[in-house]
Amino acid sequence: MNIDELRDHLCGQYPDLCPLFSIEFGDGTLQVECRGLYDAAADLKSLGFDMLGMVTAVDRGEHFEMVYRLTSREMSVGMFLKCLVPRDKPHTRSLYDLWPAALWQEREVYDLFGIEFDGHPDLRRIMLPEDWVGHPLRKDYQDERIIKRPDYI
Amino acid sequence: MSGFVGGLVWGLAGGMLIALATVFGVWWERKVAGRIHMRIGPQTTGPAGLLQVPADTLKMILKEDITPAQVDVRVFRLAPHIVFVPVAMSLTVIPFASGFAPLNTSIGMLFFLAVPSLSVIGMLLAGWSSRNTYATIGGLRAAAQMISYELPRTLSVLSVVVLAGSMRPLEVMEAWRPWWILANAIGFLVYFISSIAEVNSIPFDLPQAESELVAGYFADYSGIRWGIFMMTEYGAVVAASLFGAAVFLGGWRWLPGAFGVVLFIALTLLLITAIIFVKWTFPRMRSDQLMTTAWKILTPMALVQLVIVGVIVPWM
Amino acid sequence: MAIVDRVGSALEHGPGRVVLSSLDALFDWARSHSQWVMPMGTACCAMEMIASFPFTKFDSDRHGVIPQADPRHADVMVVAGTITRKMQPAVIRLYEQMPDPKWVIAMGNCTVSGGIFYYDTYSVVRGVDEFLPVDVYIAGCPPRPEAVQDALMQLREKIRQESIGPNTRHVRKLTLPGPGESRASVEPSEPGEVG
Repeated sequence: MNIDELRDHLCGQYPDLCPLFSIEFGDGTLQVECRGLYDAAADLKSLGFDMLGMVTAVDRGEHFEMVYRLTSREMSVGMFLKCLVPRDKPHTRSLYDLWPAALWQEREVYDLFGIEFDGHPDLRRIMLPEDWVGHPLRKDYQDERIIKRPDYI
Repeated sequence: MSGFVGGLVWGLAGGMLIALATVFGVWWERKVAGRIHMRIGPQTTGPAGLLQVPADTLKMILKEDITPAQVDVRVFRLAPHIVFVPVAMSLTVIPFASGFAPLNTSIGMLFFLAVPSLSVIGMLLAGWSSRNTYATIGGLRAAAQMISYELPRTLSVLSVVVLAGSMRPLEVMEAWRPWWILANAIGFLVYFISSIAEVNSIPFDLPQAESELVAGYFADYSGIRWGIFMMTEYGAVVAASLFGAAVFLGGWRWLPGAFGVVLFIALTLLLITAIIFVKWTFPRMRSDQLMTTAWKILTPMALVQLVIVGVIVPWM
Repeated sequence: MAIVDRVGSALEHGPGRVVLSSLDALFDWARSHSQWVMPMGTACCAMEMIASFPFTKFDSDRHGVIPQADPRHADVMVVAGTITRKMQPAVIRLYEQMPDPKWVIAMGNCTVSGGIFYYDTYSVVRGVDEFLPVDVYIAGCPPRPEAVQDALMQLREKIRQESIGPNTRHVRKLTLPGPGESRASVEPSEPGEVG
């Protein structure tokens, strides 16, 4: 199935999600409010997206953008699911109940961005030592251990 | 020489034979394994790498002797010797030449099969005293494996005993006939495979499992203590090959006098090389496959061999 | 190492200078020709190390180098690959499990100095010599398997200089290769010369 067919399929099944779906550079993206993330994800899972490939986040300045990559094996198509998390006390619902693959991926996002996931059974740092302070992939992360590359002309 | 002094002398001789067998066996194995891999084995140390194993041994002796803090110290230090001594003892009942077996006892065949099983206790103790999960798992696997493969090995040698009518090593060799090779073909195959399992050689090296348990029951041993485990393994390989070449393939019976002994040694080398070939060709078996092979495949084969021999004996 | 150490110190202070140098020659020969390597491979350099060690094209077994996965059976630890701050305690623990005498080879740019991760990173240890005593450094990203073997040969030369007497070192005069030569030339030390 290609993206346009997916759009028609989605609009047929879940018409209220339809206006949130956009196509950029040949890939479909569903942009939702983080309040409704879990319900949208559950809808997508019942639509046939049985595989969660990637969970990550981007620091956009005023907010974090959570990015989920979903793939459907039977329909042979993939799409993105995005939501915007506010910057102070960032938290969102964990998708572990829907896709167990989210377990360590969300730990990674917590480790590097500081976004907390409600309902995650084991939220702790995964790639950095347990006693690390700070969340490195934020744009305002300061660390005196980092040696900045000198600019050579 | 009899009694205590005799035992002491032959025991020391057995130990030295194992040490020499290890020095030669490791070199031979690394060279043969190299050729199987299309490369050369040890080459730099001494001519054709012959001094490689003495260098390894000297280095191991000079290593620091670490006894980890959490182990049970006395058992930890005792275990390598419990593993080594039974294997050295089993060398005494092998008929080396006409009229010469260091211990020509009337239960010789049984002695050879039963006494090395005592090393299982040593392996269990080594794994257990290390107080280390994976070492313990290795020890338990070793125990299960050794006990399971005792049965087909014993049954296959039993068919030779039935044909010979005696368990005394020299009497078995006297009674040996060339057609026994054909009659005992299945038994020899069973004996060969079971011996590989008894010495913990690949494909049956689950207790060691280099890529898995990282050395299993001797994981916490360093230096010469580990060297004793290695010597035991090579000693067991040599003992099994000597015994198989003598009792199944006829040993020194083919040619008279010294030629016979030379042929015996050549047959032993052939069996050792066969074990090395198997070691470096096959992948490792899982524990359930291992147990299946012992109980469901090799034991019935050995029993079939016994039936064949039982049918032949009244016609002898 | 304890007994050998005591014997070495005892011989050193007595008339045992000649005995010591012969013993040293024998022990160093044994140790240098039988280097059992523990491959501490974390990243890309591990692939080149795997190509070099027991495998057929760059056979290290002919020099007496065999890989031992268990640190308790190994002499040399080849740290191959980027070491992050999270991995550092694990590497230290494995290093401490190795029995004396032990050596460390730092393979690849990341273990030498942090490599491409020297700048702009928070999590990579900049060079394994921050926490391990390194004997031979191999530069390269990743170094070729021949470079790894060359490092093992250089470690062999280094082990030959050691001595069981704690205050003795056999100094070798090292002349770096001139144009057209491939190897440095080494002259043995004067008898009685102590480093």
